[in-house]
Amino acid sequence: MIVLAIDTATPATVVGLQGADGDVLEARDDPGAGERPGHSTRLLPLAAELLSRAGLSWRQVDRVVVGVGPGTFTGLRVGVATAHGLAQSSGAELVGISSLRSLALGADSDAPVLAAIDARRGEVFLSGYQREMELLSPRALAPAAVSDALSAKAAALTGERPLAVGDGAVLYRWAFEGAGVQVPDDGSPLHRISASALCELGGRAVLGGDPVLPDYLRRPDAAIALEGAVG
Amino acid sequence: MTILAVESSCDDTCVAVVDEDGQVRSNVISSQRAHDRFGGVVPEIAARHHLELIDVVVARALEEAGVDFDQVELVAATQGPGLIGALLVGLSAAKGIAAARELPFAAVDHIQGHVAANFLKLGPAHPVLEPPFLCLIASGGHTLLAHVRERHGFERIGTTLDDAAGEAFDKGARMLGLGYPGGPALERLASGGDPEAFEFPASGSRSRGGRGATRDFAQSLDFSFSGLKTSLLYRTRELDKPERTDRAADLAASYQSAIVDHLLLRCEQALERTGLDRLAVGGGVAANGELRRRLSALGAQVHVPPMELCTDNAAMIASAARYAPRLAYPEYLGLDAYATGERPL
Ligand SMILES: [Zn+2]
Repeated sequence: MIVLAIDTATPATVVGLQGADGDVLEARDDPGAGERPGHSTRLLPLAAELLSRAGLSWRQVDRVVVGVGPGTFTGLRVGVATAHGLAQSSGAELVGISSLRSLALGADSDAPVLAAIDARRGEVFLSGYQREMELLSPRALAPAAVSDALSAKAAALTGERPLAVGDGAVLYRWAFEGAGVQVPDDGSPLHRISASALCELGGRAVLGGDPVLPDYLRRPDAAIALEGAVG
Repeated sequence: MTILAVESSCDDTCVAVVDEDGQVRSNVISSQRAHDRFGGVVPEIAARHHLELIDVVVARALEEAGVDFDQVELVAATQGPGLIGALLVGLSAAKGIAAARELPFAAVDHIQGHVAANFLKLGPAHPVLEPPFLCLIASGGHTLLAHVRERHGFERIGTTLDDAAGEAFDKGARMLGLGYPGGPALERLASGGDPEAFEFPASGSRSRGGRGATRDFAQSLDFSFSGLKTSLLYRTRELDKPERTDRAADLAASYQSAIVDHLLLRCEQALERTGLDRLAVGGGVAANGELRRRLSALGAQVHVPPMELCTDNAAMIASAARYAPRLAYPEYLGLDAYATGERPL
């Protein structure tokens, strides 16, 4: 099965291509500090580049995998809309996977792994896993609340010292380290969603009946404001 | 040549299939009523809905046209201007559709789309309008006058300096306690009122800016509706509650008449300055009965496409794509949307 996997939940644009032999090629764009994400301008060119590197055509892709977040709303929509267009037009299967789970899978650790994506507005999108098992369901929370969220799951998190990865873990290192969680060096590749994790998760995902849509985890501000006003 | 076009610049998710000669095979418009309770379009909600609807609307447009992806030879999408998050959903999906089949792609300017609605082949009741002509585009998002000299472009000779005409209708409706969208409600209320009952500032004058700015504005072909809106606010404040109810129809009729006066004055001036004798109208405000009645008295040949081609739709985007540059695969893969102004080079 040939799998094309994309993720645009973080400022990075990540594309993976898994060939029939199972080998994964990766192409990515990681904007530097202060640079705008290149989701709309880089996603398809990177995918086309990978296909031609592998000597494959779009029509040979059996499955399109897309990270559905949580992450930046506009970035997620570029990724998911592109995946919809590709799959609908080519007839390939379409699979949505959690960007947080992909991030955690990339850490390849037997210890509990916390995946943390910068959620802006002083919050992180956070979830926790031990290998396949979900220990902490995805949520948006303030870094100061990380410690409490973990102690509520203390029983599950015993044993090896947990590890936190992702741009949210780098940004709020103090909150994770203060809660006894290990955070790799800022420059570690473990903080980035990798093509091989996307292809692995997406490749073995079972086709679901639900539409593939972003997992925003946050409602639009206007909807929250309206309900607040109504009471 | 079969064209598949996507339009998602505001709150309508639109996909159409149009033939090379301008024959409309399908024109599917999915309106998002989700915004009504907010009293206006909420960009984040619009973008979310586009993404939920896009595949279904694409599938329906193909089905209604009786074609499948194998027959599509050109893919087009609105690139801008509009709500950036909304635009990106349609543009990304359209680029994906084209890329997977290595089809050529046309990125279309939304305003050019409104102009190109006049080039669609719609049968004897709506003959194709050949340039040159003047085009008034008035909706909730834009109000401008286009001098159309050829099928692939236009010159903007007048534009609104503040609100769009449709926005003026919506805001007026809100002041009169009517729901959203306000245009049709305000028109209904106005039909029982006296358009001369209340006075509004003369068309072509402007409340803000110094004397120089006022003179420049009067001599321009630009539009301004914020003064009218402020006047309506004062008129309603001058009345006590029972009066406001009694005279609501008169207020609505006078306010509507003032908006239409302003639109017509600019059209008249533009026709005179350009020497053109044909006027096309597009945008949702074209649905306004008062505007239509009084347009016919202008002394120009007036063309109004069917309403579903005046409001935002993808058939007009496909029509514009017929005359837009065609990008071969993979040249278009990195195209980005633009929110405001003209297309970046
Ligand atoms: Zn429009």
